[in-house]
Amino acid sequence: MKNKNTKSLSTKIILSIILVFFIIIFVIFAVFEKINKEAFYNIEIEKANIIAKTIEPLMALNIYLGMQNKIEQFSLQLLENPDILAVRVFKNDKIINDIKSKEYEDNINNSFVIKKSILQPNTDKKIGTLVIVYSNQNYKKLIDEYTKWTASMLFALGVVFLLFGIYIKKLLSPLRTIAKSLKHYSPNKEIEIPFTSANNEIGLISNALNNMQQKISQYSKKQQNINNYLEEKVNEKTLELRKQLYIDNLTELPNRFSLLNDISCTDDGALLIINIDDFKEINDFFGHIAGDDILKKFSCKLKGMFENEHNIELKRLYGDEFALFFMQKPSLEHFIKTAKKLIYTVGEMIFFHENNEVSLRITIGGAYEIEKVLEKADIALKSAKKQQKPFLLYNENLNIEKQYKSNMEWVKKLKKAIKQDKIVPYFQPIFDNSSDEIASYECLIRLIDDNDKVIGPYEFLTIAKKSRLYSSLTKIMIEKSCCKFEHINCDFSINLSAEDIINPKIVEYIKQKIKKHNVSNRIIFEILESENIENYEKISYFINEMKKLGCRVAIDDFGSGYSNFEHLLQLNIDYIKIDGTLIKNLDNDLNAQVVVQTIVDFANRLNILTVAEFVHNKAVHQKVKNLKIDRTQGFFLAEPQKNTNNF
Amino acid sequence: MKKITLLLLALITILQAYSYDDVLLKAQASIFPKIMLLDKKIEEKLIDGEIIYTIVYDQQDHDTAKEIKKFIDENNNGFFDKYAYKINLVKSSELSSLTQTSAIYALITSQNSKKIANIAKEKGIISFSYDINDLKNGFLFSLMLEKSAVLYLNKANLYTNKVDFVVSLLQMVKFVD
Repeated sequence: MKNKNTKSLSTKIILSIILVFFIIIFVIFAVFEKINKEAFYNIEIEKANIIAKTIEPLMALNIYLGMQNKIEQFSLQLLENPDILAVRVFKNDKIINDIKSKEYEDNINNSFVIKKSILQPNTDKKIGTLVIVYSNQNYKKLIDEYTKWTASMLFALGVVFLLFGIYIKKLLSPLRTIAKSLKHYSPNKEIEIPFTSANNEIGLISNALNNMQQKISQYSKKQQNINNYLEEKVNEKTLELRKQLYIDNLTELPNRFSLLNDISCTDDGALLIINIDDFKEINDFFGHIAGDDILKKFSCKLKGMFENEHNIELKRLYGDEFALFFMQKPSLEHFIKTAKKLIYTVGEMIFFHENNEVSLRITIGGAYEIEKVLEKADIALKSAKKQQKPFLLYNENLNIEKQYKSNMEWVKKLKKAIKQDKIVPYFQPIFDNSSDEIASYECLIRLIDDNDKVIGPYEFLTIAKKSRLYSSLTKIMIEKSCCKFEHINCDFSINLSAEDIINPKIVEYIKQKIKKHNVSNRIIFEILESENIENYEKISYFINEMKKLGCRVAIDDFGSGYSNFEHLLQLNIDYIKIDGTLIKNLDNDLNAQVVVQTIVDFANRLNILTVAEFVHNKAVHQKVKNLKIDRTQGFFLAEPQKNTNNF
Repeated sequence: MKKITLLLLALITILQAYSYDDVLLKAQASIFPKIMLLDKKIEEKLIDGEIIYTIVYDQQDHDTAKEIKKFIDENNNGFFDKYAYKINLVKSSELSSLTQTSAIYALITSQNSKKIANIAKEKGIISFSYDINDLKNGFLFSLMLEKSAVLYLNKANLYTNKVDFVVSLLQMVKFVD
């Protein structure tokens, strides 16, 4: 392709010349045919006309004077012209003279006829007609001559163009030579470029190419050096990265990628994942440096334990998680025995950090089949942790996969419900025990599924917290509840988790909404006591902020956790909602009665109102009243409804 | 003697009358009126809208003149081309500059030849003579029958403002100085 292009320049010029040549030929012939031939013919006709015009007055005079012998005499004189083949004179319509030359018969086919009216002298009266038969010979000779000269001219022109084309080709041939010399050019090899001494444009190009060659050569050498240096560095870095990729920096054990690589290289094998229990506490207590130190020592001891076991590869997955990968599947008995031995041995180990003795416990999850071995071992580990067992071997009956699947489906459902506005508040009234009137409503979250089935929070709240959708649900409940009670003159309560309260964005959102809907004097925030409230300071700050706005606060499920009355005193709350587990058997559980009585007494002293939840029958309701609990909530009195006016 | 003298006179007259070439007379009678029409200024020479063609003769040629008149009338039916004409026969002795005429044709008028030519010249009209020798006396045209009919034109009298012939006529005449 390149070769074709380089050839084409001179070829194109020559082809252009040929094209121009043919166009010129065509134009010349067109002119010749259309103009010259016609002009030549017209000239001959004009000549004949001039003759007729010249002779006509004499003919006219002779006809007029009746001197016919003179007409014949003039006709004979006309025939002396070799181009005139015949002369015919009519007096009116009668032939009075008809003379033909000797050449008439031979040339009659190559002739034309001129007719001229004969007018009476001194008048316009027609008295006869002069007919001259004129030979075409002269015209033909003229055309032949013209054709000959035209052909000669075209031939000469063709020769000139051909020579011109050859000259152009010769002029451009140095470029071809230069191109040939450049064909095998490489930056490492200097070539001699021809025509550098030529004193024309070719010379300029050659010199420019020569200079360029030298610069490229210099640049190439520099580039080569840089490349060599970079190649060396890249190799070093590659090795380093490969090491980092497969080796854990802290323990210098093969890492998770190494394990994945090993798993993909075998169709046999088994895996034990080892997790150090509560290692976070060690980190928190002794610090991360100490934690790292203990991890190093732990890995060293594990290495020592399995250094002679060539079938077993020790890996560090991340943090406090290690793995023993069996390259070939051992007997199940040996596999379990190894795990148990490991648990026992680690339990016996003592680590020292700055004269502090640290002992470790581990939990192990095992998978005895290579297919999805990592996932299965991980599931087994999580199950073991959940069940607080030191070792668990994966089997299908763990049902964990099913639970994972269910969780994932719930996440989808939740997202869809949020998108389609299917998260709604239901309202359950709370009755004042002294008046049996509705004192307030608790706003309870509900999800309406695709079949319009109303689903309670127990099905999806845990998943919502895990999937980070909980804050979205809180926002929806706040917005919809505040909107609902904007024009209803009644107190209402919304549940908040500790997670909501420590989230500044949610707190800001709450403030905006209660201002927007002007419900600050009617809203009550129910904070779950059963949740592990770790940061009482933040909860206290939130409560104070809300109380400044005129809001009230309740502790929900009080009595379910390790209720701390001292903390409760600090929180400046308005209501205590006694946990349902204490209320539901209140009618016949004496212990529950004692606890509830204690809570009510405590609340009364602090001017805190008490609320009994889960009141499900009349006996419990009566007991609640007997214990002087201020308010009652439960299915016995009213179930949660979509609208408040249903009560 | 008296009788002999009268007879001789009559004989001379008869002899003189027969000296005209009848063919030439007819040729001249045919051609001269036509030549008159080749004058581009013929319109200026009309008299009362007519061409007056005057035949001038000597006493003895009266019959010849009449014959010529008769011949012309027979061949032209009262019109020279589009112009009506009248032929006047005038004796040479009676022709004067007062004679109204468009052209003059003179038979042999030996003694009055110059006078006739001068009158024609004076009037600016075309003069034709039977005898070619009269051209020397100042006539404009004459005609001779040679191999064919030949028109003679007196070049000296051609250049006048009152006569303007078609060019072709001048191409076919023979000029006489």
